[in-house]
Amino acid sequence: MSNFIVDNNGIKRYLVTINVNGIEYTKVVKANTLLVNFLREELDLTGTKKGCELGDCGSCTVLLDGKPVNSCLILAIEADGMKVTTIEGVASTSNLDNIQEKFLEYGAIQCGYCSAGMILSAKALLTENPKPTEEEVRAGISGNLCRCTGYINIIKAIMAASGQEVLN
Amino acid sequence: MKTLNIVGKSLRRADALEKATGTATFSTDLNLPGMLYAKTLRSPHAHARIIEIDTTEAEKLLGVKAVATWKNTPRLLFNTSATMTFTLPNQEPVLDQYIFDNVVRYVGDEVAAVAAISERVAEAALKLIKVEYELLPAVFDPLEAMEESAPDIHPCHAGKNIPGEIIKIPMGDVEKGFAESDIIYENRFTLPIQKHVQLETQAAVAQVSPDGNITVWSTTQTPHPSRIILAAAFGVSQSKVRVLNPPYIGGGFGVRIGLSAKAEPIAVTLAKLTGKPVKVVYSREEDFIASDTRHAGYVWVKLGAKRDGTFQAIELKGVLNGGAYCSFSCETPGVMGAMGLSVYRIPNVSYYGHSVYTNITPAGAMRGFGNPQGMFAIEQAVDEIAAQLGLDPLELRKQNIIRVGDPWILPYSCRSTGLEECISKAAEELNWQRRGTMNEPGSKILRGIGIGVGTHVSNSWPFCVDYDNAYITVLQDGSIMVATGVPEMGTGTITTLPQLAAETIGIPLDQVGITFGDTLTTPFDIGSHASRTLYAAGTAVVAAANDVRRQILEYAGDLLKTAPEHLEFANGLIKKQGLRDSECVGSGVCQLNEVQNFITMKDLAYHAHLRNKQFIGIGRTTPPNAPPWHAHVTEVEVDTETGMVTVIKVAAAHDVGKAINPLIVEGQIEGGVLMGVGYSISEEIKRDAKGKPLHTSIHKYLLPTAADAPEIKAIIVETNDPTGPFGAKGVGECGMVPTPAAIANAVYDATGIRFTELPLTPERVLKKLQEKNKNII
Repeated sequence: MSNFIVDNNGIKRYLVTINVNGIEYTKVVKANTLLVNFLREELDLTGTKKGCELGDCGSCTVLLDGKPVNSCLILAIEADGMKVTTIEGVASTSNLDNIQEKFLEYGAIQCGYCSAGMILSAKALLTENPKPTEEEVRAGISGNLCRCTGYINIIKAIMAASGQEVLN
Repeated sequence: MKTLNIVGKSLRRADALEKATGTATFSTDLNLPGMLYAKTLRSPHAHARIIEIDTTEAEKLLGVKAVATWKNTPRLLFNTSATMTFTLPNQEPVLDQYIFDNVVRYVGDEVAAVAAISERVAEAALKLIKVEYELLPAVFDPLEAMEESAPDIHPCHAGKNIPGEIIKIPMGDVEKGFAESDIIYENRFTLPIQKHVQLETQAAVAQVSPDGNITVWSTTQTPHPSRIILAAAFGVSQSKVRVLNPPYIGGGFGVRIGLSAKAEPIAVTLAKLTGKPVKVVYSREEDFIASDTRHAGYVWVKLGAKRDGTFQAIELKGVLNGGAYCSFSCETPGVMGAMGLSVYRIPNVSYYGHSVYTNITPAGAMRGFGNPQGMFAIEQAVDEIAAQLGLDPLELRKQNIIRVGDPWILPYSCRSTGLEECISKAAEELNWQRRGTMNEPGSKILRGIGIGVGTHVSNSWPFCVDYDNAYITVLQDGSIMVATGVPEMGTGTITTLPQLAAETIGIPLDQVGITFGDTLTTPFDIGSHASRTLYAAGTAVVAAANDVRRQILEYAGDLLKTAPEHLEFANGLIKKQGLRDSECVGSGVCQLNEVQNFITMKDLAYHAHLRNKQFIGIGRTTPPNAPPWHAHVTEVEVDTETGMVTVIKVAAAHDVGKAINPLIVEGQIEGGVLMGVGYSISEEIKRDAKGKPLHTSIHKYLLPTAADAPEIKAIIVETNDPTGPFGAKGVGECGMVPTPAAIANAVYDATGIRFTELPLTPERVLKKLQEKNKNII
């Protein structure tokens, strides 16, 4: 368990060090601070979206030591000492990630609210399984809801990002 | 016809890069210095009077800055939907909402709101507000709410609990038409409550300056109408209110045509009380229980035909569940009737429809706006007529559909229709000939194919106030700025409107900037709804672009000593007719007074600037409306052991007039289809006996995931409507419209059972399958 201090109201505050997108941040958080709020409010990384705060929609998906998680279901103190990748950390400074490129190319983005979570789930999927079947792609993003696209172009984009042929 | 360089191409979305990298800003992302957070106390009762409300303990909680109730907020009636800003004088807009009232009319209705230093403190304060309620009788079904014994939810003049007017659409003589029919089918159909579940919940941030100027960033689909509503609700002049998107919106689908439920007025109320910026973000549960839904209700259809299949008469009746406040309950039944009766050439038609107030979450606008409900009934009646006459449902449709120039009930002409082509292409994609032959003996899985067709609108004129303005200013380097009051909620507005401008003027797309979704920087526009943005705002952008082009050609004509009509203007180059691009080397501006043959847009704009001139184009339009057409052919499987309906594939062929950006058009169709699939087989909000909603989270509500989504083949049909920009018509809502009927008709083909109630849940389907088997045994 992390180091903590007790404030004047008797509330414990924990010192956490979390590596986000390659940068180590050391911050004081409350025990109930959600990772999504740590990212959005403490670090101003608002690319990670909140759509339900119940783990249902996947908009807040980030990678925690490479695995996709709903950051609304993880406490900041649980991520202490771990590596987090958010949408802001997917592209290098000069180049988009291939998945981002394909999302642009295949029209996989409409309102954009699900895009961050969708891209991170796709990233995790392709890291684990570089040549997924269409069914595996569908399963891989089934925790990320999209209400705009009907998923069709998202699935095409991920298949294309894996270097596989995309049927029209 | 002129070659198109930019229009008709699947160009990359202008907002995609920001959205793919997490840098796009939404209302929920905003954070202003000193900003407070608001939370709302909601009614636990379906209908009650507030006898006493005590906020003293809540106000004492450390970190609480203000508590708002009906006692300390304006008592000016409004309607959260844009209906109060665009109802035409033949009807009165229904204003039936206060920011807070001393009567609550549904579980979730607003009672009070707290502004505090954090959401958690605000939530804690809500628990300290003491409310004493006197319970009132409540009613949840629209038919029961019309009975004399039902409680009065609002004063109404058209009938018991009927908001606005009863809509009647007559043409010909239906009694005569039915008397002349050889065959008649009639039935009642029952529709559920569907929820938008746009990914970004309702949200607003409000700031009020010391001199009373109100700025609201919000998720609204209609910034300009929202300004009108807020000015009315707070009793200030419209010039004191600015409404803008920040600039992106996490989906809409109709849920924020007007205000974003009450996010804006609650934020403004608390910003006024505290003098600080206030942020309101609805939780997903609040979004489910206290933000408009699709109208549930009942639809009756009676369709008569001759033995040869010619339709003689149709009677349609709709009673929709409007919920506790009017919102769009006056217009929705009108669209159901107007669209439902405009698909087929039938000499005798009649529609009678209205909404009814009940004590449930208000129903308002949702993609399709009454049309999917009506078509669910009509398209199944058409299939029943086909079955009884032994005709192919596809051919029966082709025989009866509206053709260009046919008389119909709509107050504008049908100038284009590609419906027959849509039917043929969708049928071909799914190999329609298989229909009726897909079941293998002894299989526990039944298979079928069905069709549904329909039409919709491309804007809301002449049913409602509906107009657009656009400015185009040419900057000093020849690039341009388009200003339009519509938002970007995911539908591609800020990509396709610049495509129209660039193509019309004759400049490259990368020379076009756009300001949008902001009442301060754009002229009035009625906003994004009614599948209208590309068609209607696009018409204004094209008009402004033509105005600019004309000015530029006149100026260039003087400069090049050539009549404007003898100049060509494309790709940023203005030149004398017949001159090849390769001959246009250099800037074209000569220091000497030699006559030039060409000039670039860049040099021309600067040339004008040096002579104290800027080109500014204005477009002010009210396009007359145009019918988009669509046919969906759907393949389903029905598991006889579980009752599960699986949609395997949907071929969705849409006459969109002209696809300005085909990739974006396909995306609109695909998204609409899947929303329709959810509506057909899984999505539904039910309530308990006391009116408490049971489906209050995404987990409980069951909208389709990527694993559930069928294969969807979007097929674009182009008919070039003479009224639309480059021939375009509406598309945004259309994927939704025929989907439920196409699925129900496919399930009928598979099972031989006619389902009259949505959604086709395993429970509902299994019950009917068992009943049928019992009858056979």
